[in-house]
Amino acid sequence: MNIKLNNREPVYLQIVRDFKERIAIGELEPGEEIPSRRELANRMKVNPNTAQRAYKEMEEQGLIYTERNLPSKITTDQAILSRVRDELLLEAVDTFVTSVRSINVPVEELLELVREKYTGNEDKEA
Amino acid sequence: MSFTAKKGEITCLIGINGVGKTTILNAIMALTPINKGQILIDGEPLKEKTFEKITFIPDAITMLPQMTVAEAMEFMNDFYTTWNQERATELLGFFRLNQTDRISSLSKGNTAKVNLLLGLALDVDYVLMDEPFSGIDMFSREEIANVFTSHLIENRGVIITTHEVGDIEHLIDKVVLLDDGIVTKEFDAEDARENEGKSVIDVMREVYVR
Repeated sequence: MNIKLNNREPVYLQIVRDFKERIAIGELEPGEEIPSRRELANRMKVNPNTAQRAYKEMEEQGLIYTERNLPSKITTDQAILSRVRDELLLEAVDTFVTSVRSINVPVEELLELVREKYTGNEDKEA
Repeated sequence: MSFTAKKGEITCLIGINGVGKTTILNAIMALTPINKGQILIDGEPLKEKTFEKITFIPDAITMLPQMTVAEAMEFMNDFYTTWNQERATELLGFFRLNQTDRISSLSKGNTAKVNLLLGLALDVDYVLMDEPFSGIDMFSREEIANVFTSHLIENRGVIITTHEVGDIEHLIDKVVLLDDGIVTKEFDAEDARENEGKSVIDVMREVYVR
């Protein structure tokens, strides 16, 4: 829960992204209860109104749901969950492509390098 | 000079020393006479009853140094009908303070915490804090910042003054920039990030450095 907040980006969107990342890697499971707005504000050291706004945004995107007075939970909607993963992946690739494009490297060479780095890292982590 | 601070929001008055931050708070508390203009609380002009709705936490503790923390709390209890002992006890725990300590023996950070405790333990709708972060160590600052994200502040209207916004950027709703007695800018911190991609400090830099 310790994300480094960026001062120039809306805090509520940073919180939403953090949740998406944790959903994508399976740290947050479908149907799992999430902290109250108050707890989240406290843990992340953000304004409670901001936490509220993040939850509202996530509810609108269907990432979480709230029944009556029960704690909010992560959605169990498989379509939404897989969309989260795709979205994050696409975002990361976009960022990568944008920054690498300026180097003007042939795509084959780039892909080879990506393969090498990506699988190489996996070996190290394993 | 005009700005609005809403209930349930933390409004931060920012300006370098001497621009009139404390004067504004004093004026709200009728501690300083105002020549013109008006101060409305819940849409009503100030009257005696108003002060049962507001607490002012000055930048230095106003209790006698020889008092213990417990005595200072008793003193507040005697003076204010809005004193909430339960909350005071909770704050003691929150700040890890010792009731039997004398105020004169406290570190700067702990003195600031006692000062906050005495104000926040009052059941009031509005809290004014003058430089709650100034001149204390970073860990005490963090503990004090934690108050802002807790239920101890929830639903209250808070006005705080500061000259260094750095560590509380994510805690405040609204920013009022002051310069020499005038409001140079009033904005929502999250809006500035969302619409302009600017941090509070970025906006300040634009306003002050010209």
